[in-house]
Amino acid sequence: MADHDTAPPTTVTEPRLATRARGGRRRHPWHVLVAAPLAVAGLVALTVTGNALRPFDRIDVIDAKMASKSDYFKDPEVQRLLLKHGIRVDIHRLGSRGIAEQSFEGMDVVFPSGQPAAKLVMAREQRSVRSARPFVTPLVLGTFRDYAQTLVRAGVATPQKAPGGGPTLYYDLRMDAFLERIEARRTWNDIGYDQVARGRSNSGRVLVRTSSVCESNAAGTYLSLVAFVRNGNQAPGTQPRTRPEAAGDPVLAVADDIKPLINLQGMAADEQADSYFSDEGENIAPVSVIYEHQYLAHQVAHQRRHHEQDTSRVLLYPTPQALTEPELIAIDDRGNELTDLMESDPELRRRAIELGFRVRFSGEDGTSAQLNDYLRSRGIQVPTPNPDRTKVDAPDLDSLERIINRVGNCPLVQKETQE
Amino acid sequence: MSGTRPPRGRNGPLAVCMLLLACAVLAAGGCSGGRDKVTLRVLAGPELADVRPLLKDLAHDTGVTLDIDYTATPDLTDRASYDLAWPASDRSFLLALQAARQGGARPESTTIMRSPVVVGLDADAAGRLRARAAGGRPTWADLADAAADGALRFGMPDPRRSDTGRAALVGVATAAAGTGDALRVQDVSCDRLRGFKSGQVLTGPTTADLIDAYVRRPDRADALIAHENELLALNAGGRLAHPLTIVRPEDGTVLSDFPLLLLDPDRHDAYRKVVDWLLGADAQQRLMRITWRRPAGQDLPRVRELRAPIGNALSYPDRRSVVDRLLADYGDPARGATSDHVVFLLDFSTSMRGTRIAALRSAFAGLSGADRTATGKFARFYRGERITVVRFGGEVLDERTVTVRGQRDLDALNSLVARGDFANATAVWSALDHGRAVAARSLAEDPGRPVAIVLMTDGANNAGISYAEFTARAAGQPRTPTYPVPIGEADTAALRRAARDTGGRTVAAAPSSSLSDAFKEIRGCL
Repeated sequence: MADHDTAPPTTVTEPRLATRARGGRRRHPWHVLVAAPLAVAGLVALTVTGNALRPFDRIDVIDAKMASKSDYFKDPEVQRLLLKHGIRVDIHRLGSRGIAEQSFEGMDVVFPSGQPAAKLVMAREQRSVRSARPFVTPLVLGTFRDYAQTLVRAGVATPQKAPGGGPTLYYDLRMDAFLERIEARRTWNDIGYDQVARGRSNSGRVLVRTSSVCESNAAGTYLSLVAFVRNGNQAPGTQPRTRPEAAGDPVLAVADDIKPLINLQGMAADEQADSYFSDEGENIAPVSVIYEHQYLAHQVAHQRRHHEQDTSRVLLYPTPQALTEPELIAIDDRGNELTDLMESDPELRRRAIELGFRVRFSGEDGTSAQLNDYLRSRGIQVPTPNPDRTKVDAPDLDSLERIINRVGNCPLVQKETQE
Repeated sequence: MSGTRPPRGRNGPLAVCMLLLACAVLAAGGCSGGRDKVTLRVLAGPELADVRPLLKDLAHDTGVTLDIDYTATPDLTDRASYDLAWPASDRSFLLALQAARQGGARPESTTIMRSPVVVGLDADAAGRLRARAAGGRPTWADLADAAADGALRFGMPDPRRSDTGRAALVGVATAAAGTGDALRVQDVSCDRLRGFKSGQVLTGPTTADLIDAYVRRPDRADALIAHENELLALNAGGRLAHPLTIVRPEDGTVLSDFPLLLLDPDRHDAYRKVVDWLLGADAQQRLMRITWRRPAGQDLPRVRELRAPIGNALSYPDRRSVVDRLLADYGDPARGATSDHVVFLLDFSTSMRGTRIAALRSAFAGLSGADRTATGKFARFYRGERITVVRFGGEVLDERTVTVRGQRDLDALNSLVARGDFANATAVWSALDHGRAVAARSLAEDPGRPVAIVLMTDGANNAGISYAEFTARAAGQPRTPTYPVPIGEADTAALRRAARDTGGRTVAAAPSSSLSDAFKEIRGCL
């Protein structure tokens, strides 16, 4: 839509004045004739796309370190909405935990994908900072139909019912049973993949691929989930210590227990979601830790391009479930501008829904209704909440850090040492 | 803006303003105004030299000129003076960072394209390999098997210097370990690639060098191991009379993702522009057509050659020590396989009669090529390997040494093991003493050739010299790593001591695993 309240760009009037000053000469040399239509065409394009904002006005470039939530700021519609407010976001892509650990120098905002990294950032910032938590999204496991069906056959996953009886996009996954299969070091063929996927086989182990445990929020959240399940549905570090002197460190004991389940994968990928959605995704990794919003945004885009759902890529919703809450944190005044906008602008929040996020609106308890409506309107199956509503009780920050460092064998952080 | 410059003509200011406006309007699309011209220094892998044709357009469209040196080592050791790095894979680099325990996150990195490390075979070799593979779908194990019996000669870049060669080595070793997940330290404690390596006849510091060597004399090798894109480019380049058949091994391949890394964070703006340009649909299409790599994103129509699925990607080890061990064991690929000499001391006392001797014969047949499991194909006797079989009872019954050249040599060994005469006594220490003498002669003949002894026995020593005498004789002699495989009533404790003294170890056969598995387990440790 066009901006009514925008004054005519001053640069457009400038040449007119210049022409007038020359007193009626009509002849322009070729380079003006070449440039003029270009300029006019460009102006028309700008007006049509709603970008007719003061092209020569100051545009605030906001430097932002972010991880997977760069998906939001890379969206052309979000960029257009921000440009209306004179803001362009320059994305420096980095894992969430990397963001929390590295220098903020030159940054206006940071946008870690979850609360653990956000808390680390907050703890580092001495002053009180403004921040926004515009949306939430559950952690999910992205897989492919034959693998999901293999897990159904193995008795650890259950398909959700698709309306109209078509192939479902969603499965519920019993995490405890799934981890047992991983621990037993079974291969995909062992649990029946070669029979489900006629003509194909996979002698690789059943395992879940994550981004780097040391750097990624998704991987860290997955660790919390696995630790919670393996610790008897209890956050590590919360048990009463019955024999403190003999028990050793219960948190590290859990870390050592889950370490082999994570480290099976060898070297972690840089950005697991990118691999999952690539055409080679099924060959790169049968099961990947991703966020729900990434999957839903993919389905919306797929539906738009191909007029059908991508029925080969399917989601496993783990029980217990883990919700992630990204937080946009201002480092300086320019950053404040952006966090304020994210808090107040309904259009930016509406767009978040269209990108698959669950958005919190004030006065509403559920965060799913609007997302579900949107998916329905786009012809995309709506995921149903798992009847087992057990939520992962994440370990406290200190315990999680210790688990991550133990499992990932992470390099020691040199905080604020950038010369 | 226009006011600061004296107008050159009457319409100068108007033209300048119009152009500036046009530029501002089209800022996203092009109009690389002189103001923003940037040059980035890039350290790229030699594999990336094929992106050259795109660089001019990249500079034109983004204002960023990439000044590329195609000299990167896998670890990116000489990266200090560069703004970006563009290797075939950043795995070795990241493992090196991790090993150095340098703090902070890894540099910003973006996957630009993908290509698996696969095998290109001439038509005959492809037919032969398919014929011996289950379902006509060859695995790395089939390749190792064919290399070991001399049916396949291949070329592969030097894993110590080339990312491509390193990915190939990790892929083959992962298949050899056969665990289905990333290699761990314990998986590489033995070198299971000697049979595979015995088939390597060509190498080079880079794939380009390897391909040049192959093109000069295609008759020297039957197959090349390299990235899929490098082999497709070779096929398309008209340098070969007959194109190579691409085989993507069924047991998985290592996938390279050709990431662009931001080494100097201050060059972020330009880096972003380059990455966005390279990932645009147009550049991805051109990269695919020019370099034969697979696009990073989704939904780009593929050329016919790139529609075949890549198969399962193998996990990559997350410890540098694992890769280092592989590199050290594989050694210099130009030197060919290290031809080991293995001395088998086999107990033919009467208690071995029946199932035990049957198990031994079957284990020997397995090592001679009859074992069609993946681990069996990697563990088998290979061309050039020297093998001595000593049968003993109360004394040495007979002895035979062969250098494996073909099936006849293996048949000779198996016929010795098949003999039906058994002795009434077991002279373990005399036999071991005899084995040591064989090993000493072998070492004197060729000091560079590793020698090892495998001792299979099922009874306590009741003839010949005593353990004390054996150790007394061993004093001052060169130690030959000794691997006893005790079964039945063997004196395990004494054997363990004897093994430990030589740097070998005992390997349990029954009850946890078969004699065949025990033999396979020590292959490559010798």
